[in-house]
Amino acid sequence: MAQFDEKISKDQFEPAIIDASTSERISKPSLNYWQDAWLRVRKNKGAIVSLVVIGFLIIMALIGPSLSKFDSNKQNTKHANLPPRIEALENISWLPFDGTRTLKNGNVVNPYEQKQIEEYYWFGTDALGRDQFSRVWKGTQISLYIAFLAAFIDMVIGVTFGAVSGYFGGRVDNIMQRIIEVLSGIPNLVIVILMIIVLKPGIISITVALTITGWVSMARVIRAQVLKLKNQEFVLASRTLGASHAKIIFKHLLPNLAGVIIINTMFSIPNAIFFEAFLSFIGLGLQDPLASLGTLIDEGFRAMIAFPYQMLVPAIVISVVMIAFNMIADGLRDALDPKMRD
Amino acid sequence: MSKILEVNNLNISFHTFAGEVKAIRGVNFHLNKGETLAIVGESGSGKSVTTKAIMRLLPESNSEIKEGEILFDGKDLTKLTDKQMQGIRGKEISMIFQDPMTSLNPTMTVGKQIMEPIIKHQNMSKSAAKQRAIELLKLVGIPMAEERFKQYPHQFSGGMRQRVVIAIALACNPQILIADEPTTALDVTIQAQILELMKDLQKKIDTSIIFITHDLGVVANVADRVAVMYGGRIIEIGTVDEIFYNPQHPYTWGLISSMPDLDTAEDELYAIPGSPPDLLNPPKGDAFAPRNEYAMKIDLEQEPPMFKVSDTHYAATWLLHPDAPKVEPPAAVIKRREMYPGFNNK
Amino acid sequence: METKKKLLEIRNLKQYFNIGKPNEVRAVDGISFDIYEGETLGLVGESGCGKSTTGRTIIRLYDATDGEVLYDGVNVHGKKSKEELKSFNHKMQMIFQDPYASLNPRMKVSDVIAEGMDIHGLAKTKEERMNKVYELLETVGLNKEHANRYPHEFSGGQRQRIGIARALAVDPDFIIADEPISALDVSIQAQVVNLMKKLQKEKGLTYLFIAHDLSMVKYISDRIGVMYFGKLVELAPAEELYNNPKHPYTQSLLSAIPLPDPISERSRKRKTYDPKMHNYQADETVELREVSPGHFVLCSEKEFAQYKK
Ligand SMILES: Nc1ncnc2c1ncn2[C@@H]1O[C@H](COP(=O)(O)OP(=O)(O)OP(=O)(O)O)[C@@H](O)[C@H]1O
Ligand SMILES: Nc1ncnc2c1ncn2[C@@H]1O[C@H](COP(=O)(O)OP(=O)(O)OP(=O)(O)O)[C@@H](O)[C@H]1O
Ligand SMILES: [Mg+2]
Ligand SMILES: [Mg+2]
Repeated sequence: MAQFDEKISKDQFEPAIIDASTSERISKPSLNYWQDAWLRVRKNKGAIVSLVVIGFLIIMALIGPSLSKFDSNKQNTKHANLPPRIEALENISWLPFDGTRTLKNGNVVNPYEQKQIEEYYWFGTDALGRDQFSRVWKGTQISLYIAFLAAFIDMVIGVTFGAVSGYFGGRVDNIMQRIIEVLSGIPNLVIVILMIIVLKPGIISITVALTITGWVSMARVIRAQVLKLKNQEFVLASRTLGASHAKIIFKHLLPNLAGVIIINTMFSIPNAIFFEAFLSFIGLGLQDPLASLGTLIDEGFRAMIAFPYQMLVPAIVISVVMIAFNMIADGLRDALDPKMRD
Repeated sequence: MSKILEVNNLNISFHTFAGEVKAIRGVNFHLNKGETLAIVGESGSGKSVTTKAIMRLLPESNSEIKEGEILFDGKDLTKLTDKQMQGIRGKEISMIFQDPMTSLNPTMTVGKQIMEPIIKHQNMSKSAAKQRAIELLKLVGIPMAEERFKQYPHQFSGGMRQRVVIAIALACNPQILIADEPTTALDVTIQAQILELMKDLQKKIDTSIIFITHDLGVVANVADRVAVMYGGRIIEIGTVDEIFYNPQHPYTWGLISSMPDLDTAEDELYAIPGSPPDLLNPPKGDAFAPRNEYAMKIDLEQEPPMFKVSDTHYAATWLLHPDAPKVEPPAAVIKRREMYPGFNNK
Repeated sequence: METKKKLLEIRNLKQYFNIGKPNEVRAVDGISFDIYEGETLGLVGESGCGKSTTGRTIIRLYDATDGEVLYDGVNVHGKKSKEELKSFNHKMQMIFQDPYASLNPRMKVSDVIAEGMDIHGLAKTKEERMNKVYELLETVGLNKEHANRYPHEFSGGQRQRIGIARALAVDPDFIIADEPISALDVSIQAQVVNLMKKLQKEKGLTYLFIAHDLSMVKYISDRIGVMYFGKLVELAPAEELYNNPKHPYTQSLLSAIPLPDPISERSRKRKTYDPKMHNYQADETVELREVSPGHFVLCSEKEFAQYKK
């Protein structure tokens, strides 16, 4: 089987000088967990697009209301129920931004011309003549605010509760688990409705209502992870070195939980947005003049037949937000979940 | 002896985030009828990938057979359709995996799991299949087979589960049995039973076995021939005596010397320095060269071909080149050569 | 043997799990042995017989159900002040089995190794800390550049050596090694075993070496204890245990281990062990008895007479 065509010169058979240290060298560049995860997320096109979309929506939520000349709360009944009209785009006939609307009988009318209105309402106006554009972004802002706040509180309570319960185990764990069982046994809509009736509807009360049961799933996930982690050999090693509980929790457990925490939080944000919208839609949400995407949809829904754009725009925004957050969370799960790594 | 399986110039790569992993780089070997071929080598050397390629069980999403053929029964397995392959898997070639805990379905009775391949491949009636399954359970040494037949895997101990796995693998009298570290997860006493069982069964039903392990003791116990893998290649292949008593490749030397036998008393074991190669960027030349104290200049330049030592024994090291200097292998290897002077060493 | 100093005395140590519940496990059920200064005591036995539990109980990862562990004459178990605990942690260390689970994946190698120094305040300045880390890396055959990398970038053998460096950082006298080589390749096992032997010679370390690979245990140990279902069934000098095993379980264990030697494998005769074969009567006391100097076997009075012959 030995076959070599070209002659090999004798000096090739002299001993090679091998640098002993090279045999231990690692050629791969050093990447920490986050750099590695970023590389993985980057390969996921859906997640990246979603990230950009969310970034854009957040910026719009912050600056959107001030881009338009109109204040989101200023009522102007003369300008009620105007369809969208945007400069420059109004002349492109197939875009719905020409300020016209089709009546039930099929006639196309242009309320702007009828009422001789010079202003351009980009997304139209609502029944009270408020500018939909600034209201949509204001609503997005409040929806996101509630969602982030709720997710953050969920995270803090859930992680603390789950970590303590899992780490200390025994009686402590037993009692804490019973609490969770009781909480998750009561349908959360009931709790929320009670909460809202007791507190007056408002940003804080809705957030509280969302978090009062929301943290349970986070606590469960964290507890399961901690139970697994605390018997890992690196934690045992730390204990044999004499590390305190605080040190073990903060240096060993939390950094290893970070991935799970982030993934879970990312999934709970769209849930919170949806739940808030749901509450608003059934009339338990924010009250006028405060607007969230949910209240906007609710209002739009009432005038859906005559002025579909009033519901359509906030509905599109909320859908995009939900889809984008879910896709980011999915991408992060693939990138951060240790089970998926090779 | 007739060849039942032949693997020629197999090259397999994985496409990963970090780049292309050349896991198998030109593997050649064959399997004779009725023999046990052991494949040894360290973790990541490509043992499992090679056998998974034979079974066509590599993940479709990121693996690629770049070159080579796997000949079984006149067919090239790499070219078969999935459908054709299903007819071979479990019938002609079957496989046993390392972990007896996860290779059985916990929600199905043991009996059902044994009957499944019988019904699928041999068109037997249910009752005949059941008879056969009970027979198989008896064959692999499970007492009270009739009762055990109705039980679930969790009611079996680790060793018994591995016996069940073997029974399933043997259900259709396969021509080839591939065992990927079948005893690694088991205790030595149970390992000994399983090894005995496998040898016994081989005699009875005349299958050929490919046995992957990294325990040289197990190899010495079961193998007729041994292939040593390193960095995605087979670097030495020969009969079990040739590999254990007259090894030629410095990696095999290291492998054999680094394992103390019961009367090793030296102060220090022979240890191969360094770590296994990174198959993402395999080194130029011989992949073992950076850890090889016998490395020559050519090792850093050019991969050694397989040199013939005897009709059955080949090794890929430049030390076998006629121009290469004679070197002194580690003491343990010399001792082994003396133990078994059957080989006239040059 | 008499002249040697006892570093560790384990007296009737018991470790039960889930006490009082239907799934009670007597993982360690009353074992006693001594470990002499500077020696390596090997502990072997099949999976689940309580080897790891013994090691972990000795180092106080579990609170012993009963019995005591005397280190240098002082009981390690029972209520202790923080100071006392710290000093035990200082003297006793552990090396773990799984090179993948024993290093925190989120910490840099330098922080992994320096963890003990940080806890015990062994390094005054940052620079001193890093120098010590470099020194330890070198001791275990790695180099400076490795300090800033993360565990997942290393191979199994390298990780195991990092684990050893972590244990060495607090300058212990006694190290419990729980199957430190079982998860490693044969070619890498020798590196780790050599390193452990070298360190023992240089630093006068004492080891409790837990394993199930008998030829490696025989090679590294001075004495070997064999465990079976939470009990120590035989304890003897390594050579003696191999050449002259008394307890039938030890004999069966030895007969089951395949050796890397095809010729002897062809004539292997396996013995089986069935605990019923002892046929102990209710009035017999079964305990560890010394059948010849330094060679202890778990047996009854009747067996004792037999074994002594
Ligand atoms: N699905 C996969 N994706 C990417 N790389 C893979 C995959 N499977 C195997 N590899 C790579 O192929 C190489 C050979 O792996 P293989 O599983 O054959 O090793 P092995 O010899 O069986 O080792 P072990 O003794 O640990 O089982 C390794 O470098 C591994 O990282
Ligand atoms: N924390 C625990 N809770 C309950 N049972 C346990 C616990 N730890 C160990 N056990 C049980 O104690 C027995 C002894 O376990 P141990 O881990 O000491 O065995 P071992 O000899 O180290 O085995 P191996 O070789 O598999 O590591 C086993 O039956 C195990 O299931
Ligand atoms: Mg494998
Ligand atoms: Mg153990």
